[in-house]
Amino acid sequence: MAAETGTGVIVAVRYFAAAADAAQCEEEQLVLDDGATLGSLKVLLVERYGDLMRRVVESGSFLLNGVVCKDDALPVGDRVDVLPPFAGG
Amino acid sequence: MHSRTAQDLLAIITSDEIDVRAVQKAVGAPHSGAVVVFHGVVRNHDEGQDIQSLDYRAHPDAERILAECCRSVSEETGLTVAAIHRIGHLEIGDVALAAAASAAHRREAFDACELLVERIKSTVPIWKRQYFTDGRSEWVGL
Repeated sequence: MAAETGTGVIVAVRYFAAAADAAQCEEEQLVLDDGATLGSLKVLLVERYGDLMRRVVESGSFLLNGVVCKDDALPVGDRVDVLPPFAGG
Repeated sequence: MHSRTAQDLLAIITSDEIDVRAVQKAVGAPHSGAVVVFHGVVRNHDEGQDIQSLDYRAHPDAERILAECCRSVSEETGLTVAAIHRIGHLEIGDVALAAAASAAHRREAFDACELLVERIKSTVPIWKRQYFTDGRSEWVGL
């Protein structure tokens, strides 16, 4: 008997490198609350996947609409990539 | 997977062995008296531990972002730059990154190449898993 607080939004989440190790998959669909932000996505991911994911989201970034982002206040939209800290070069 | 901007900047992500002369040729010009080429090479140690090999992974957008990186450095310095990053399994001694800049004089070329390498490392979504000689492995940077 959950209260109707909105329909929620389905978000396609892609995981890379250590994030894929933490999630044990490379892509999945998550249901987030309407108006979900990167900050609330981080909380959900850490709850689901634990310490390795916590280290990924605390030191990494996200790709939203083709742009690398770190601002927790940004809205998630319908697609987001979880990016561990970069280690090129 | 070749990206070239309007200024014909070379920016490539490849799983093939890097042709280190390609970045040098890409930045060379009759007015340039200095060409600086940096090779990032897989070394056999990291923070006191012995490294066996590395695996590099790139985001599907990495080549576009590498091209943006080259373009921004070129616009800021007014110089021609180029970069090729290799991904996949690399052994000790393999070149993982070749970056180049050219200028009329060496100081500007050294500075631009340094700026380019720093920006590639901080902004291009590439990840590196290192395999130690004792069989363990870990993602770098976590």
